Amino acid sequence: MRPVSALLAAGTFGAGLLALASTAAAQTKEIVIGMQCDRTGATQTVGVNLCPGYHDYIKLVNSKGGVEGFKINAIEIDHEYKVPPSVEAYERQKKDGAVLISLYGTPHTQALTQKLTEDKIPGTSPGFGTAAAANGQKYPYIFPIAATYWSQMTAAVKFAKDNLGGNLKGKKIAYLFYDNPAGKEPMPLLEDLQKSEGFQLRTFAVPPPGVEMGAQVLDIAQRYRADFVISHLFGRSPSVSIKELKRVGFPLSKVVGFVWAAAEADIDAAGGWSVAEGYNAIQFAGVGSDYPVLKEIVEMYKKEGKAAPKEMASTVYYNRGVLQAAIHLEAIRNAVKAKGGAKPTGEDVKKGFEQIKNFTLGGLVPPMEITAKDHEGGGWVQIFQAKGGKWVKRTDWFRAYPEILQKHLQG
Amino acid sequence: MFHREAGIYKTSYAADMALYPLPVARWAVAGFAVLFLGVLPLAVHEYYLTIVNLISIAIVGALGLNILVGYTGQISIGHAAFMSVGAYTAANLAVRLDLPFWITLPAGGLMAAAIGTLVGIPSLRIKGLYLAIATLAAQLIIEWTINHVEWISGGVQASIEVPRPELFGYVIKSQTQLYFFLMFFVVLAIIATQNLIRSRIGRAFIAIRDQDIAAEIIGINIFRYKLYAFAISSFYAGVTGVLYTYFLGIANYEQFQIVVSIDYLAMIIIGGLGSILGSIFGAIFVTLLPIVLRLVMEDFGSLIFSEADLRNIIPNLRLIVFGALIIFFLIVEPEGLNRLWRNIRSYFRVWPFSY
Amino acid sequence: MFDWFEWEFTLSLLTNGVLIGLMYALIALGFVLVYKATDAINFAQGEFVMLAAFFGAVMLLSAGAPFWVAVLVTLAGMIAFGFGLERVVLRPLIGRPIVSVIMATIGLAAVLRGVAPLVFGAETRSIVMPVEDAPIIWGPLFISPIQLIGAGVAVMFLAAFTWFFLKSRMGIAMRAVADNQQVAMAMGINVERYFALAWAMAGVVSALGGIVWGSLLGVDVHLALIGLKVFPVVILGGLDSIVGAIVGGLIIGIVENIAAGYLDPVVGGGTKDFAPYVLMIIALMVRPYGIFGKRQIERV
Repeated sequence: MRPVSALLAAGTFGAGLLALASTAAAQTKEIVIGMQCDRTGATQTVGVNLCPGYHDYIKLVNSKGGVEGFKINAIEIDHEYKVPPSVEAYERQKKDGAVLISLYGTPHTQALTQKLTEDKIPGTSPGFGTAAAANGQKYPYIFPIAATYWSQMTAAVKFAKDNLGGNLKGKKIAYLFYDNPAGKEPMPLLEDLQKSEGFQLRTFAVPPPGVEMGAQVLDIAQRYRADFVISHLFGRSPSVSIKELKRVGFPLSKVVGFVWAAAEADIDAAGGWSVAEGYNAIQFAGVGSDYPVLKEIVEMYKKEGKAAPKEMASTVYYNRGVLQAAIHLEAIRNAVKAKGGAKPTGEDVKKGFEQIKNFTLGGLVPPMEITAKDHEGGGWVQIFQAKGGKWVKRTDWFRAYPEILQKHLQG
Repeated sequence: MFHREAGIYKTSYAADMALYPLPVARWAVAGFAVLFLGVLPLAVHEYYLTIVNLISIAIVGALGLNILVGYTGQISIGHAAFMSVGAYTAANLAVRLDLPFWITLPAGGLMAAAIGTLVGIPSLRIKGLYLAIATLAAQLIIEWTINHVEWISGGVQASIEVPRPELFGYVIKSQTQLYFFLMFFVVLAIIATQNLIRSRIGRAFIAIRDQDIAAEIIGINIFRYKLYAFAISSFYAGVTGVLYTYFLGIANYEQFQIVVSIDYLAMIIIGGLGSILGSIFGAIFVTLLPIVLRLVMEDFGSLIFSEADLRNIIPNLRLIVFGALIIFFLIVEPEGLNRLWRNIRSYFRVWPFSY
Repeated sequence: MFDWFEWEFTLSLLTNGVLIGLMYALIALGFVLVYKATDAINFAQGEFVMLAAFFGAVMLLSAGAPFWVAVLVTLAGMIAFGFGLERVVLRPLIGRPIVSVIMATIGLAAVLRGVAPLVFGAETRSIVMPVEDAPIIWGPLFISPIQLIGAGVAVMFLAAFTWFFLKSRMGIAMRAVADNQQVAMAMGINVERYFALAWAMAGVVSALGGIVWGSLLGVDVHLALIGLKVFPVVILGGLDSIVGAIVGGLIIGIVENIAAGYLDPVVGGGTKDFAPYVLMIIALMVRPYGIFGKRQIERV
C-alpha cells in the first residue's frame, strides 16, 4: 500500500472537481463566443497561428469598448482535432452562454451540425466543413463565411483557364488531392467543369500522412504531362508537393493550391521562397501585414509595452483568425443593434450574420454579402503567388462559375 | 466497495455463483443505481451529463478492448476501426432501411464482430508485436475502404447523418435523454462482461493470456478462443461506434482514427489490464483528465502565465500529462487505478490496524 | 490502362522507390537496433526523429551554427537523450509484458509532442543542407541530392552496424544480451549498460534521420508522422534484422511507388499508404517473424 500516492491522486482529483464546480457565471454585460481550436493535433501548425489572430482582434475591440457596449469573451477550448472533446467543448460553451460557436475542423463541424440546429446557435466553418452548408435554407445554423472547397474549385479552374490562354479545351488538368473526405469533396464540381470546359482530367490521390508523393508527381510531370495542377493538400503534404514538383521540373507557376496549401509555413518547409518561386495559392483572407486593422493590433501591443505577437509573422493564418473574429463581431453587432441594445441570443446572432454586407475591414475581408440563402457570403477568393520572398497578389477578389455552384447547392 | 466479510457462509451453488455475493455489495450497487438514475440527472447541469455520456461510451469501448488485451493477452491497435465498422453499419441501416436503433445497434455490433474475427485470423500464427502491427494494418485498411467505397460511406464526404433514436415514438435527443439511453447500455455491457469472465469462455481467455501453449495442452482450442476474443471485443467496439453515431447524430470515419485506438489502450492501461472496474476507472480518468486539467489551469494558470501563453500551454500540458501518466502508471503501478483502489480498500478494511 | 506503360516512367518510379525506401530504412534502423538488443519496440521513433530535427534546426537557425556543428550537437543531444530515457523510463520496464513497453513509448511520444512546441516553438522551420538543391538529372531520372544523401547514410549505417554486430566485442555482447538476458548476465556482461547503449545507438540513427528527413519535409511536430510509415518496413524485414530493415525499406519504397503509379489510376484512390500493409500481412502469414527475422521457439 502506498497511502501517500493514493491520497495524492485523490487530492488532485478532488481539486479538479472543485474547479469543475466553480466555473464562473457569465456576467451580464458580456457576450460569450465559444471558440474551438487545435493547437496540438493534426492541424497544429494552423491553429497556433490562426487562433491568436482571433483573440487579438477581440482584444482590440474590447480595448475600444467592446461591441455596442458589450465585452466579448471568447472561450477557447482545444480539441486536439478529436471529435468527442469537441462535443464536450461545445456543451461547455453552451453552458457558459455562448451565442456563437467558432468551429474548427471538418469532422467536428459535421458532428455538431445537428446539435447546433437543435440548440439554435450559429456555428462558423471558414474554409472547411461541408460545402453544401453554403445553402442557408438547408443548413440554417451553419455559416461557412468564406469560400468553401466548392467555390475554391471553381476559382481554381477559372484561374487555370486564364493562365492557359483563356481556353481549356483539350488541355490537361491534374487534380492532386489529399485522400480524405475534404480532399474529395470538390471532385463532382471538377467533373462537371470538365464537361462544360472540355479539358482532360486526371486525379492523383495523396494518402495521409502525405509525406511522400514522388510517384504521383512523376506521373503528373512525365507520364500525364499535365498543363496545370490544382492541388488540394493539408498538413505536411503541400510543402512536399512543392518540393517534388520542383524536382521533376514542373513549372510552379502552373500550380495552384487550395487554402490549406497556401501558408508561409508551407513555403518554409518546402525549403524557402527560392524553391517555391512561382507557386500560386488561393486565399480567402487578405495576406500580408499591410492592413489598418493589423497596424491597430501592433499599436495596442505597443501601448502595453509589448512587442507584436510573433504569430503575426504567419500572415496567412493570422489574418484568417482576424477575419473570423471580425465577421463574428460584425454579426453580433448587427444582432445587438436589431435588438435595440439588448443582449442577443443565438437566433439573433444568426440573423445578424445574414445582414453582413459591405464589411471589408480595409481589404482584409472580401466584399461578401451573407444572406439567409447564401451563408457563404459569395465565395470570394484572391490568388497570391510566391514571388521574391513573399506572397504577391495576383488577382483581385473574384468568384467563378456561379451556375455550377448553384446546381450543386440546390441538388 | 467498502465492506468487510466475516467468513464464508455460502450454503448453495447459487449463492456461490451470485454476481454480488454479499448483501453490502448488492446495496452498494443499488445505491449507485439510485444515484445515477435518479439523483444525478436531476441535480446537475446538462453539461455534466454530456461528460458522463462521453464516459459511458468510453466505458463500453474500454470493456471490449480489455477483454481482448487484458483478459486474452492479444494486442490490438485497431479498436477504433471496429467502431467505425459498427457506426457505418448502423448508419446505413438506419438511413436506407429506416430501421430503429434496437436493430441497428446489435447489427452494428455483429458486423464489427465479423470483421474483427477476420482480422483475428492471423493471430493464430503471429503474436505479440507482429500482431499489434497487423491490427494497425487492419485499422488503415478499414479506414481506406470506408473512405473509398461510396456504397458504405454514403458519398465523397464519407459521413452519414443519422436520425435520432426513437423509443415508442419518443425521440431521444437532449443530453439528459441520451444519458438514460447510454446508461442502459453501459449497465448491460458491465453485467455482460462480468458474466462473460466468470464463464468457461472467460476462463479460457485468461488461460491463453497466461500461457497460450500451456492452455492448448490442457485442451483449450486456442484458435477458436482467440477468434472468440476478437469477435467479442469487436462486438463491443461496434456497439461503441453505434452509440457514438447516435450520440452525435452522424457517422464519420474521421472520428475513429488511430489516435482513438491509442486513447482506448491508454484507458485500460491506466485503469488496469484484465479488470472490469479498471476499464471503468480508465474510461473515467482518460475522459476527465483533459477537462479537469483545463479547468484547473483556467482557474489558477493565469496566476503564473499570460493569457496568450496559457492558451498554448493548456493543450500541450494535456499531452504531456497524458503521456507522463501512462509512463508513471506503467512504472509505478502497473496494475493501474484498479490496484490503487484495491489498496485503498484493503487499507480501510482493517483500519485502524495495519494488518 | 497499361497502354501508357513507359519504361522510362517505370524506371523513374523504381529509382524513386529505391531512394525513398532507403530513407525509410534509415528510420527503421532505429526500431531494429532497440528491438534487437532490448526486446522493446519504440512507438516513439517518429518523435525521436522529430526531436533530433528540432535540435538541428534550432542550432542552425537560432544559434547560427555551421552545418557540421549542428550535426554534432544533434548527435550529442540524441545520445544523451537515449541514455537518459533508458535510465528513467525503460529500465524499470524490463521484463514486463510487451504491451507495457509499447504503451510506455506511446506515452513518451505524447510527452515529446507536448514538450517540443513549448520548448522550441510550434512554427515550421527548415534545415538547409550545404548541398545544391537542384536535382541531378541523369537520363530520364531526376534525383534529389537530399534523398541521395539520405540513402547514402542508410547504406553507411547498414555497413557500420553489420560490422559492429558481427565483429566488435561490444556488438557480440549485445547480441548475447538480446539472445538471453540471464545467461548473458551470468557470463559477466553488464546487461543494463548494453541496453543503454542500444538506446543511445537508436539516438544516433534518429539524429541523422532527423536531419535528413527534416531537410526534406521541414521541421515541426508533423515530422513525427513518418514514424507510422516505417512499421511495415520493420515488420516485413523482421524486427531484429538490420539487413531486413534495408530490404524491407527497399521493398516498401518500390511497392508504394508502383502502387501509386499503376494501381491508383485503376481504383481511383491513394493505395500508396495501405498497399505496403497488405503486402506485410501476406508476408506475415507466410513468415510470421518477417523475411529476415529470427524464428523463436517457444517453450512452456
